[in-house]
Amino acid sequence: MSVSVSNRGGAHIVTLAGEIDLQTSPQVRDAVLDSLRQGGAVVIDMGGISYIDSSGVASLVEGFQVARRQGVAFILAAVSPAAMRVLQLARLDKVFAFQPDVDTALAEGI
Amino acid sequence: MSVSSLALHVPDNAALNTDPRGNLALLAAMTRGFARSGDFAEMVRAGLQRITERLGAEASSLFLIEPDSREIVCFACHGPVDVTDLRLPWGTGIVGRCIAEDAIQMVRDVRSDPAFAGAEVDAATGFVTRSILVAPLTVGDDQLGAIEIINKISTPGGDHLFSTEDQGLLEALCGAAALAIANMRLTARLVEQERMAREIELAAAIQRSLLPVIADPDFPIHGEMRPMHLVSGDFYDVVTRPDGRLWFCVADVAGKGMNAALLMAKTSSLFRCLSKSAATPGALLAAINAELCETASHGLFVTLACGLYDPADGRLILANAGHEPPLLHDPATGALVSLEAHNPPLGIDPSLVDATAETVLMVRPGQTLYVFTDGVTEASDGEGTMLDVAGVTGLIRACADVPPQARPVALVDAVLAGGRAQRDDVTMLVLARKDGFDA
Repeated sequence: MSVSVSNRGGAHIVTLAGEIDLQTSPQVRDAVLDSLRQGGAVVIDMGGISYIDSSGVASLVEGFQVARRQGVAFILAAVSPAAMRVLQLARLDKVFAFQPDVDTALAEGI
Repeated sequence: MSVSSLALHVPDNAALNTDPRGNLALLAAMTRGFARSGDFAEMVRAGLQRITERLGAEASSLFLIEPDSREIVCFACHGPVDVTDLRLPWGTGIVGRCIAEDAIQMVRDVRSDPAFAGAEVDAATGFVTRSILVAPLTVGDDQLGAIEIINKISTPGGDHLFSTEDQGLLEALCGAAALAIANMRLTARLVEQERMAREIELAAAIQRSLLPVIADPDFPIHGEMRPMHLVSGDFYDVVTRPDGRLWFCVADVAGKGMNAALLMAKTSSLFRCLSKSAATPGALLAAINAELCETASHGLFVTLACGLYDPADGRLILANAGHEPPLLHDPATGALVSLEAHNPPLGIDPSLVDATAETVLMVRPGQTLYVFTDGVTEASDGEGTMLDVAGVTGLIRACADVPPQARPVALVDAVLAGGRAQRDDVTMLVLARKDGFDA
């Protein structure tokens, strides 16, 4: 699992790849919450995720909740088919904002 | 810091470090003392007194490195001035240099050593530090602290200076003391782990007691929950209404471990309590969601499928908040119908759950509803291939002839057979309507 954070157009891009499970989800949580703490929109690039369990989804849900309280955009971009299956099964597609890629998220989502 | 006595303690010459056999006896006695269980601080103080007397010195202290702050803290001392709890920043003083360099220090005149940091203590207490012998307490690569000996008082015809023999004896004693401290810490960690294990076992027992006990084999609903660890984020429950209809649910808290287990206990209580007044499963989900959202934290959420079943006519109302879709199996036709979730999980936001989103169906005689958690679908074989819904449907068909009261256990056993590894808590609930012939 890898997590990296970059800044583009005033937004924080959190790029996730690999398997996100109970062991690795705290890193995701830290990266997401650190980005939100700095202010501005957050885009999660999920193109490289091969597996995400409920603890990983909980990190994203917490990001969604904090962003909502702060009134900033929180967008899931380029969600891999593996991650999208999990999110759709749990009907979290009703909760999160999605964009097909990071560029579109930056242009239209925030 | 207090001055217990400023009177100089002059040791008996016979006890001084002049006889190698005496040194060995002291080393043996102290090793035995350190190996004994009991009050470690008292044992260290007694040990320091013996070392001080043996070396013919005036005072001694044992310093330990505090793991978090890296400060050097006086754990115990012997002599006229009590410096217990004295804290020195890392590298400070002659003791700090000894620890930083992991090397014994013998300073025969502290006034000539710029590292000496005891002037303030001396000024405050009237004690006069003249010479210091300090050796590190080290086990392997693990630095624990140091033992410091202060002021050689006398040797018969000697020069009031620490000797290389003193140095050798202190190093040997420090070896025994370091092992004793390492053992003491290891024991403390084991005791703490044991205490935590007992607490977790107690929590697991409480959790098991939250699950329903269904002794009647003819009861329409049976379940099995198998935690991955001791405590679980899964649960299932069944509540009989006064009108004979049955509330049931299967739930899965995000994550695993104690935080998931605590949220499981809370959700289980909410289900029991709010089902007494809820009119429909959708309304029950909305009510549980509202309560969970009031105290939500860390993004933890709960997927929950619940239903209200009438055993008299088979009418079933289902509501599903982000949970794995239940499967309705008809052995007569072989059909398996997946009943998808309409709502997202509970505990995310109070506005997200639609109380009217429900599925109403008739469970016909012979049909069975299977409600399970994703620990079932995500059980994986040696190559990481998950069982998935297709695998679950195969197992359901294979176990269709097992009596309903034994079927949840048989299914969970089958899920975890064939070399499949349990990746999560596993729960299976079976709601079976007897077929028309023996109903």
